[in-house]
Amino acid sequence: MKESKVVIIGGGATGVGILRDLSMRGISALLLEQGDLAHGTSSRFHGLLHSGARYAVKDPGSAAECIDENLILKQIAPHCISDTGGWFVQTRDDSPEYVEQWTKACANAHIPISEISPSEACRKEPLMSKDVLRVFEVPDATVDGFKIVWANAKSAKRYGGQFKTYHQAKRLIMENNRVVGVSTKNLLTGEEFMVSCDIVVNASGAWASHVTGSIGIPLDVICDKGTLLAFNQRLFQRVINRLRPSGDGDIFVPHETITILGTTSEFVDSPEENDPQEEEVNKLLEIGRHVLPGIMKNRVIRAFSGIRPLHREDHDVPGVNKEEGRNVSRSFALIDHELQDGIQGLISIVGGKFTTYRLMAEKVSDRVAEKLGSMTPCRTATEDLLPVIPEHLHKKAAQLLPYAPVEKMLERLQEDAESVLTEIQRDPRKGQMLCECEMVSAAEVEKAASDEDTHHLADIRRKTRLGMGTCQGAFCTYRALPLLWDKKEKYDALQDELRNFLNQRWKGIRPVLWGQQLRETELTRAIYASILQVREN
Amino acid sequence: MSFEQDKAEILDACIKCSACTAMCPVAAVNPLFPGPKILGPDAERFRLEGLQIGTTLSYYCSKCKTCEITCPSGVKITEMITRAQEDAKMSEGGKTLQFSIRDYLFGRAEYLGKLATVLPGLTNVLLKAPLFRQILEQTLGICSEAPLPAYHTKFETAEKDRKSKKQVVYFPGCFVTYNDPLTGQAIVKVLKHNGYEVIVPPFHCCGTPLEGNGYLREAQETAKKNLALMEPYMRAGIPLITGCTSCGLALREYPGLAESASELQAYDLFEFLWELQERNEFRKDFKDIQVSLGYHSSCHLKAQGIGTPSVRLLRLIPGVQVTDLDQGCCGLSGSYGFKKEKYHTAMQIGKPLFNRVRQGAANSEFQSVITECGGCQVQIRHGSGIETVHPVWVLMQAYGFFQLLSSGRHASSELV
Ligand SMILES: Cc1cc2nc3c(=O)[nH]c(=O)nc-3n(C[C@H](O)[C@H](O)[C@H](O)COP(=O)(O)OP(=O)(O)OC[C@H]3O[C@@H](n4cnc5c(N)ncnc54)[C@H](O)[C@@H]3O)c2cc1C
Ligand code: SF4
Ligand code: SF4
Repeated sequence: MKESKVVIIGGGATGVGILRDLSMRGISALLLEQGDLAHGTSSRFHGLLHSGARYAVKDPGSAAECIDENLILKQIAPHCISDTGGWFVQTRDDSPEYVEQWTKACANAHIPISEISPSEACRKEPLMSKDVLRVFEVPDATVDGFKIVWANAKSAKRYGGQFKTYHQAKRLIMENNRVVGVSTKNLLTGEEFMVSCDIVVNASGAWASHVTGSIGIPLDVICDKGTLLAFNQRLFQRVINRLRPSGDGDIFVPHETITILGTTSEFVDSPEENDPQEEEVNKLLEIGRHVLPGIMKNRVIRAFSGIRPLHREDHDVPGVNKEEGRNVSRSFALIDHELQDGIQGLISIVGGKFTTYRLMAEKVSDRVAEKLGSMTPCRTATEDLLPVIPEHLHKKAAQLLPYAPVEKMLERLQEDAESVLTEIQRDPRKGQMLCECEMVSAAEVEKAASDEDTHHLADIRRKTRLGMGTCQGAFCTYRALPLLWDKKEKYDALQDELRNFLNQRWKGIRPVLWGQQLRETELTRAIYASILQVREN
Repeated sequence: MSFEQDKAEILDACIKCSACTAMCPVAAVNPLFPGPKILGPDAERFRLEGLQIGTTLSYYCSKCKTCEITCPSGVKITEMITRAQEDAKMSEGGKTLQFSIRDYLFGRAEYLGKLATVLPGLTNVLLKAPLFRQILEQTLGICSEAPLPAYHTKFETAEKDRKSKKQVVYFPGCFVTYNDPLTGQAIVKVLKHNGYEVIVPPFHCCGTPLEGNGYLREAQETAKKNLALMEPYMRAGIPLITGCTSCGLALREYPGLAESASELQAYDLFEFLWELQERNEFRKDFKDIQVSLGYHSSCHLKAQGIGTPSVRLLRLIPGVQVTDLDQGCCGLSGSYGFKKEKYHTAMQIGKPLFNRVRQGAANSEFQSVITECGGCQVQIRHGSGIETVHPVWVLMQAYGFFQLLSSGRHASSELV
């Protein structure tokens, strides 16, 4: 089938960013994603919208990109970003020389910093170590990966862009040194078909070399695994970085209702190797303690890992060791395979950061536009990502759900907000919180469950935050099942949905089983293993 | 450990079991009230994000603290709710001006009491006048049907008694001080009969009404003033006794507020008397009095986690039958049930209790009801029409200091 001029492989931040950019330029595009949107690294990251300060010393180019994009995204997507600000704190273990180097580097990269007194800092962040020597404020912020990925996809759709989830690109199809399409498999039905197009954009992140590998083109992408810890609550009001050369476990990011500490760095063989390990958890706790002295008493609800796709141009670096992970550039590479390998119609985009997804999309789209002879310029740096939510909906939501964080709900739902609110008005019982920890109403879950692009309970989780809070799905999982029943033809057998969802939660809980989370898990076990008799297989 | 670290750990302790909401009396009768779990620990995680949620609904919490005594994890649910109310007030929450003036006044039972007891006669006439009550309802949102207690000449400690070796400090509380001084005198008399000199320093309100109306910080300030007054007695190891269960609950939390480790030993009256009984020091020179009583345990007594010492003690008196009514909350919760938007919720909460009382009285199972809490007394009388008094009056009668209990109205407090 020939659906569009461009096929994009990969539905992470980069892929949906490209889909939106091309769609806004009037270039027809279809995105293929093997899982759900944001199922890769774009939902397994730290949530930090970098100011660039972290890269100022080592990678000034990246730092400059970050500060530019940081300011742009705060403008076009304020609803996906929480402008918390961030601090760099020097502890007793951190060298004063580096502090000098760092302040100069920030000035060179035009990153605004200002110093505040340690006593004021301790007053503003009472849980932070009292032993900090110097504290600098930077324009770091936090970004909600799920929200911004979906906002891009929905915006692209309004411009005619299309995306298909649970569709895997199996092979690129070549004719006379030109890529002419993608052999695609619908993973839900098993059906395989060919999608033809003029240009394929490979935005498959850590999987990028698998895609080009299907036509024998090598692509040097290193899989760098990073593990993060999610704490039960917001321990800090702002991002807190250690002021030292980047290392493991030295950033705390307050993210929605939780705090995320990370990250480790370890090269792995495949993008699927994302099981957090106990040693990584211990290491994070050990390092994090310097900034958060009470760390052992603060409840960790889960650990999770993502895979950074790092691009290494230098093919000759022998072996790989840990330190290299951080030394390889975090900047991105746009590879036009026509120039590099003599293969037309294929562009790969690798590396980069979540913070720079829009810039990466702009560069790719510029190149695609040029190849297709389109003159329309990029508008993503200026046009708002989210349509304005009308005032009457804000009022109605506040009135119908007086005890819920309704603004978050409206931002998640966007154009679907009206229908969900109408449903709650019709049947007020649906205004009850199905997921109480993250406060997601039954009506919203029902809506997400009936969306045509929702195929598993985990997809509902990514759309709504169901099961991501304190109880890690103990209560909301069984409550959500009846809502799947209505559309059961779309889902696996309900006992399988239940088991898979619980197992995904369990994967992140297992390495953090102590204290209150252990009590919680025992309660969960009592509900599922005992009352509901859910057993392994 | 720092206050902030403590707060974080208490929030972390919640395992989301919902036991608190299952036992909340308000959630049981008001389907719109989301309950302690959502308004407390659940909303707290969003409040840390700067989102004030549920502020309008949180005012339906009566601060009975049933949730806290139920929680298996020691989560300070009510404190979270109160702190949130206070923060919302700062940032202009959902309350109207009318209600904030009222809650301001209800929070200050001590000032109200001082004012009203200047001319108690006049106050009571006014409180009984339907026109005045209509005005109160319309201007301040105080329900005209609600049983506002009458005021009395202020409770003063009796004559200076001769020094006994054994001493206790008595904390009368605002209800005794301004509405029911006779009960205060009865308590002093019973303690003296057991060989104690009773010291009553010029205490302030315990802070519960402030907390109930969403003024946590002020409640803590008042508490600190009381702690300072207690200081010399505390150091001398003299115990502190109160007959009011809400004061008792507040006093138990005082040591946590003290700057340095506090030696405060706070007792409920009957808890103290039961200790005397266990040490064989309790006087049992009882007359045979033949009374049957229904006992209601107030929420704030339950929250103290000391069981029901008055029932145990009164059962030692020959001829006294005590039936534990066990019907949960009376609904009033301090000033909660006086508020016009909550009066009906309060009455609904108390319904099972009122029905049980009426039925028990009709079957001659008991003649009157006893409960330690002044608020519960007022509400049970209002809801059931049956005489309700503090259990100390049973002791008074058994010791022969008082005659009238079983036959007709008792004089210690009256309904308006
Ligand atoms: C632990 C960690 C912390 C991080 N923290 C931050 C941070 O704080 N701030 C920041 O700016 N950046 C951060 N990053 C980097 C950032 O997360 C990534 O750079 C970004 O998410 C990459 O997005 P992407 O779209 O390129 O890749 P992905 O999100 O991985 O998207 C690629 C998608 O392609 C799909 N795919 C692969 N193969 C196929 C196929 N054959 N057919 C169909 N679909 C396919 C995958 O399923 C996947 O969804 C972090 C990374 C890690 C690992
Ligand atoms: S204090 Fe009482 S009314 Fe308030 S939430 Fe707790 S149980 Fe419910
Ligand atoms: S506050 Fe206590 S009772 Fe309520 S849900 Fe949490 S752990 Fe359970």
